[in-house]
Amino acid sequence: MDYFLQQLINGVTLGGVYALIALGYTMVYGIIQLINFAHGEFFAAGGYMGVIIISYLAANGVSPVVCIVLGMSLTMVYCAILAMAVEKVAYKPLRNSSRLSVLLSALGMSIFLQNGLMLTQGVYDKPYPTAMTAGGFELGNVMISYMQIYIILITSGLLVALNLLVFKTRIGKAMRATAQDKVMSALVGINSNKIISLTFAIGAGLAAAAGIMVGFYYGSVNYTMGFVPGIKAFAAAVLGGIGNITGAMIGGLIIGMVEIFAAGYLSSEYKDVFAFIILIAVLYFRPTGIMGENVDDTRV
Amino acid sequence: MKRILILALVLAVSLASAAASAETLKLGSMSPLTGPYAADGNDIANGVRTAIEVVKAEGGIPGFDDITLSAQDTACDPRQAVAAANKLINDGVSAVIGAYCSSATLPASETLDEEDIIMLTPGSTNENVTERGLQNMFRTCGRDDDQSKAAIAFMKDYLKAKSIYLVDDKTAYSQGLADNVEKASPAAGVQVLGHDHVNQGDKDFSAVLTKVKAANPDVFYVSLQNSATGALLVIQAKRMGIDAVYLAQDAVYHPQLISIAKKDAEGMFLTFGYVDTDSPSYQKFIKAYEPKYGQPGAYSTYAYDSAMAYMAAVKKAGSTELPAVRGALLSMEFKGASKTFRYKENGDSGSNYIIRKVEGGKFVDYWNAQTGEKF
Repeated sequence: MDYFLQQLINGVTLGGVYALIALGYTMVYGIIQLINFAHGEFFAAGGYMGVIIISYLAANGVSPVVCIVLGMSLTMVYCAILAMAVEKVAYKPLRNSSRLSVLLSALGMSIFLQNGLMLTQGVYDKPYPTAMTAGGFELGNVMISYMQIYIILITSGLLVALNLLVFKTRIGKAMRATAQDKVMSALVGINSNKIISLTFAIGAGLAAAAGIMVGFYYGSVNYTMGFVPGIKAFAAAVLGGIGNITGAMIGGLIIGMVEIFAAGYLSSEYKDVFAFIILIAVLYFRPTGIMGENVDDTRV
Repeated sequence: MKRILILALVLAVSLASAAASAETLKLGSMSPLTGPYAADGNDIANGVRTAIEVVKAEGGIPGFDDITLSAQDTACDPRQAVAAANKLINDGVSAVIGAYCSSATLPASETLDEEDIIMLTPGSTNENVTERGLQNMFRTCGRDDDQSKAAIAFMKDYLKAKSIYLVDDKTAYSQGLADNVEKASPAAGVQVLGHDHVNQGDKDFSAVLTKVKAANPDVFYVSLQNSATGALLVIQAKRMGIDAVYLAQDAVYHPQLISIAKKDAEGMFLTFGYVDTDSPSYQKFIKAYEPKYGQPGAYSTYAYDSAMAYMAAVKKAGSTELPAVRGALLSMEFKGASKTFRYKENGDSGSNYIIRKVEGGKFVDYWNAQTGEKF
């Protein structure tokens, strides 16, 4: 039982990270039907920017809590601006081209960003000041680290905030309207270019937050770190029903749990395979994903 | 008549220019400069660069007016390694230092062998590298089979361990080492509680580590082909509260391990070749290396020694032809930065694995696997 609970906590933590990244995929797809393969790189860029800012603040004697809060907010803003720039350069000019060219542009952007990170930051891993968030407690025989709790809390907080934004504010309404029909919403006075830009920004901000938390959780960041989680988060978005916010969260949690339980009970070398078997099965039996039915109400 | 005259003139000019400029000694290096093993790969290229600088500063090699390096990226991929080997053949190099991953060294050395180009590997520890009877293949580091023997001797004679849990990341290297240790454990009185494989590039090890914790072994054998990944695994294992002796191997050995894992790396043991840092040849190396490239990595010394040995052999042989250089390499004893060695007939230079420990944020020599004594 202890073993199961321990794996459950591991799974929820990892799932929360995937969910945060998956939101960016799903929101961008929802609004312009583009699978933004460069999204994983925002996660990596966030991880790097986070360690740069936080190390700088820590070296200047700023208290850990301020370091983390300030570092996280600045990084989220930075990645949001980066994403808007990427959208402007790589996607906006191609908005009326075939879907294939936009997809290729996204893949190219992903390689460009990853290499940019490698050339500017070097090939070595960058260590996070993990002492800030180290420690944990034991519940019976189950070890829970503070970082796991932070990840679960911060992720939930961000998810609630995103839901409020999308479903309770005017901006959210405009996003949903643009997702449903770009032309019609433009006719009633919504600036769809601005809304699309904003969607990219929010998605990248969430990915950046995930990047920092992963940096603290695992201890270091690397320029290749965006690729695999990016693919898994994309799988999570499809699993949940791409374009659907709630679906992306549930999909992320499922992929994280499946991965951990497959590794814990079956074999760790095949854990990625199991995650994707689930994905294929869902696509086969329920191509719209788990939350695919009410797509028109909750799609962003 | 006029035509012949012009021809003669051209010939004379080209001959004169050939005589005026002496030859350039072209060296090549192959290592993963990008990708997950880029840290070790760049250490290797920097080690060779340092060797060239040192030799040049000491007056170069008679008969050659310059020594150049063409550093190629293998990304640890067999196909890219063969492409890199072909590129170096086209560049006209006479020797190649590399590669890092045994899976890249094996095919690349065959390609180089066809052109009679010498290959000296600073980091490929797989037994097969020197077991194929290739005339051009030399190895400056130790061998996997010797390394697992050192690990087992340490568990049996020093730790008196009763149980072990192994984790590797499925590369020919890391799994080979872990398999060797697993096979020899029962004979050493150590019970194998489990042997798990993770994927290369994994960052999350919580599931596997929960298994390890439940098994509660005396020794946790970490066989990964990447020091940064090793650091991530150790951080997560310590957080999980695994109270075992952590034993890792030479690919985890890198300053990066300590800079990332910090105090979580404290008390960890690693098998690595013995390097006498007080020796004059190491001092010479470190004086040239550190100001330019920072703290040397795990394979910097081996790459430096490989290049130094080759250049010394060229000096002695007075030629870059394979038989002459091979003869010189086999006949000389090298006082290298990593160790004093002599290449054997099969190209090996002997292993000198010891156990090192992370203590006070540094790697310290801890236990000698050859003599069974503490340093």
